[in-house]
Amino acid sequence: MNPSDIPAPAPDPVRTGAAERAYSVRREKLILFLRNPQGMLGLFLVIMFFASAIFAPVFATHDPLTMDIPNRLSGPTADHWAGTDQLGRDTYTRVLYGGRVALEVAAIGVSVSLVIGLVLGMVAGFGPTWLDNLLLLIFDAIRSFPTVILALAAVALLGPSLKLVLAIVIVTSIPSYARLARTSTLALKRTEFILAERSLGASTPRILARHIMPNVIGPLLILSAMDVPVVVTIEAGLSFLGLGVQPPTASWGTVLNEGYLIIRDTPWMVIAGGIPLVLTTLGFTFLGEALRDIFDPKLRKGR
Amino acid sequence: MRTDSHSRRQFLQTAAFAGTASLVGSFPGISWSASDGTLTVRFDREMESLDPGYYVGGHPPNDVNWCVMPALVHYGYKDGQAIWVPSPFVESVELRDATNIDFTLKSGLMWSGGNGELTTEDVAYSYDRMKESEWKGDYVAYDHVEIKDKYSGTIVLNQAFSPFMTTTLASGTGIIVCKKAVEAAGGRYTVDIPATCGPYVMEHKQAQYVKLRPNPEWTGAKPAYDNIDCLFVTEDEAGALAFEAGELDCAKITSNSYARYQKELPPNAKLTVAGALQYMWMGMNIENPKLQDIKVRQAIQHAVDQASIIQGAYAGTAEPSFGVVCPGLVGRRLETSYSYDPAKAKAMLDEAGVSGLTLTLRTLNAQERVLAAQIIQANLAQIGVTVEIIPLDSGPFWEMGQESKGETWKDLELWIMRFGSGPDPYEPFQWFVRDQVGIWNWERWSSDEFEDLFKQLVSVSEVDERHKIAIRMQEIMEETGAYVWLTHEPEVFIHRADIATQFAPSGEMQLGYFKPV
Repeated sequence: MNPSDIPAPAPDPVRTGAAERAYSVRREKLILFLRNPQGMLGLFLVIMFFASAIFAPVFATHDPLTMDIPNRLSGPTADHWAGTDQLGRDTYTRVLYGGRVALEVAAIGVSVSLVIGLVLGMVAGFGPTWLDNLLLLIFDAIRSFPTVILALAAVALLGPSLKLVLAIVIVTSIPSYARLARTSTLALKRTEFILAERSLGASTPRILARHIMPNVIGPLLILSAMDVPVVVTIEAGLSFLGLGVQPPTASWGTVLNEGYLIIRDTPWMVIAGGIPLVLTTLGFTFLGEALRDIFDPKLRKGR
Repeated sequence: MRTDSHSRRQFLQTAAFAGTASLVGSFPGISWSASDGTLTVRFDREMESLDPGYYVGGHPPNDVNWCVMPALVHYGYKDGQAIWVPSPFVESVELRDATNIDFTLKSGLMWSGGNGELTTEDVAYSYDRMKESEWKGDYVAYDHVEIKDKYSGTIVLNQAFSPFMTTTLASGTGIIVCKKAVEAAGGRYTVDIPATCGPYVMEHKQAQYVKLRPNPEWTGAKPAYDNIDCLFVTEDEAGALAFEAGELDCAKITSNSYARYQKELPPNAKLTVAGALQYMWMGMNIENPKLQDIKVRQAIQHAVDQASIIQGAYAGTAEPSFGVVCPGLVGRRLETSYSYDPAKAKAMLDEAGVSGLTLTLRTLNAQERVLAAQIIQANLAQIGVTVEIIPLDSGPFWEMGQESKGETWKDLELWIMRFGSGPDPYEPFQWFVRDQVGIWNWERWSSDEFEDLFKQLVSVSEVDERHKIAIRMQEIMEETGAYVWLTHEPEVFIHRADIATQFAPSGEMQLGYFKPV
C-alpha cells in the first residue's frame, strides 16, 4: 500500500476539546488579569523597576560616582533632581543605579533559590521517607535562623560583600520553596497518572521533570513573585547596616543609610532612597497577589 | 580647651601653683560639690580594656577610670590652659626638683573587695608595671618610686622630663591599681577591674551601659552627681537625637552635627570643643609587596586631596594635618613636603613601572571615615589605582595591625587611622618607634635617626629645640612615604547649658568634675 493511501488519523475529539478548553481557560484568566486594576498597577510598577534598572545609564543625569564636594547636601535642583549626598554625588542617579543592585540580587537570588528549592522539594516529596525527613530537618533548621542575625554572623566571619548577601538570600529562601514543592509533590505522588507512569516503567527523574514539575511550578512562580520585594528589602536592609554592598557602589540601602545620617540636614536622600523601595514592594506584591488570585484560587480561599 | 606644651619654667610655675592650691584646699577643679540627681552621658563605643597599661583609645576607658580608680593628679584648667592638679586621693603632690616628685596619699581610702587601703606600694606597683605595658612610652622617663611610708613616697625620674605630670600622671596611664588584687588576677585585666577605689563604684553591662553609683566606702569629697549613667550609643546621629530628646545630658557629636549645631543650637544646649588633639592619617604598610617601592607610596601621597576630605567628610570642621603633632602644641608642622598633584602622582607611578594596582583600604565603619575613604578611593582611581574599601567594626579594626592578635597585619595595605594625643609633642611619637613595629607602628618602618631624636625629645626641655626635633621627626615619618596626613578632628560635645563640664585635653569626659551650674 502506498503510504499516501494511508488515511490521515482523524483528529482526536477528546484531545482537541481539552486543548480548546485549556486555551479558553488561559484566555479567560488573561482577561481576568487585565481587568484587575491592582494587578495592572503591580505589572506597571514591576516593568518600571526592570526598565529603570536595566536602562539606568540612559535615564541617569550624572555619573553615580562623580563627586562634587562644593555642592554637597543640596536639595532638588534643575541639575540634581533629587539633590546630592555628602560627597556631592547625584542622588537620583545613585538611586537608579541602586535599582541595578536590587534587580541583580532579586533576579539571581530568587531564581537560584527557586530552582534549588524546587529540585530539593520534589526529591523530598518523591523520595524515600528517610531522605524526606533529613531534608525537612535541614529546611526547618535553616528557617529557624532569623535572616538578619544569620547575615550578621556570616559578615562577621567572611566580611561584607554583595556575593555574601546573595548567598544569604539564596540559603534562607530555599526552604520556603522547597517546602511548597514538597507538599505539592506529596499530593501528586499517589495520583493515578503518576502511578500509571510508574507502572509503564518511567524513571524517577523523568516522572519528576515531565509530570510532577509542571504541576508544582505554578504556585512556586507566584510565591517567587511575592518574594522579590522580600529579597530586595533584605539586600537594602543589609546594605543599610553596612553589611551588603560596599562603597562607593550605590544601593537603596546605602542611600537610605547615608540619608538617615544626614536627615537633619536634608531629607531628600531618605525620600529618594525610600520611594523606589516602597514602589517595588507594592508592585511585586500587587502583581503576585493578582496572579495568585487568578491562577491559584485555592490559596485565595485560604486567606 | 586647647593647650600648649609647657616649658620647664611654666611647668614649675604651674606645679608650685597647684601644690599650694592643694594645701589650702581651694582649687576650683577639685571642690566636688553636693550631690544632685543623675547625669546621663553618651559613650560612643564599648571598652576593650580598662587596664591603664592596655586600654585602647582614651574615651571611654579614662572617663570611667577617673571615677572609680585613684590617681595622684588630674587635669585641671587655668586661664583656658590644661594643667595638672592634685587629685582628691592625695594630701599633696610637689615637685621637689626636676627628677623628684613627692606625694602623700590620703589615709583611709579603701580598695573594694576587702583589698585593704590605698598605699604607696600600690603607686609603686602601678607605675613599675607600666614600664612593661603597651603604654610604656609614657614611662620612658620614669625610674622608680621611693617608698617613705604607707602613704608617702617620691617618684624618681631617670632624667628631667617636663611633660611627665601632664602627659603621663594626669592622663589615663597615671591610674593607680591595687597591687594585691591585680597580682591575684594574674597581673593584667580587661573590663572587670579587680579592685576599685574612688567616689563611684561601677556596674557594666556589655554594650548597654556603665552605671556609676556612689561608693559607700568613699571618705573623700563627694562629686556633684550621685549617679552617672553612661549609655553606649554607637551611632553618632542617634547620640545627637538622644540629646535633643532629653535622654542624654552630654553627648560627643560628629563633625556633621557640629556644623549643624553651629548654625542653630537646641534650647538649653551648649557646645564644648575639648581640643583637637587627634591626628588622623592614611597609613601604608611598607612591607607589603605592593607598597614596597617608595615611589608607589610617594605617588599615593601626591594623589590624595586633603582639602576635599576636610570639606566632604568633616563639613569643614576639622583642621588640616601635616604630621602627628596636633594644633596648639610645640612641634606642629604647617606644611608637608608633598602636595595634591594627580598628574605628578600618575607620573611617579609610571616611573615606578606600576599599572593596574589594586589596594585595600581598611577603615573604622564610622560615617566620616567611610566618606574619607570614598574620597581617597576616587582620588586614587584618578591615577589608575583601584581601591577596595573594607569598613570594620572597632574590635577587628584595632587588632588588624597587631602581630599578637592574628595574621591580618600581613595583609594590611592602606588604612585610615586616628590616634589621640596628650598635651605634649612627645606623646604621639612613642607609637612609631622601633619597639612599636607590629604593635602600633603598623607602617612597619624604623629609623636610627628617629630613635635618637625620640630620646632627645624626652630629655630636652628648651621649647625651640623640642620644636625642631619634633619637626624633623615628622619629616622622617613623611619621607618613608608611609603617611598621608589627613586631619586633626575636634572632639566636640553637646551638653545641657546648665551643666558645667570638664574635659581632658585629649577629649575624655572628667565626669567627677561635672556639676550643675
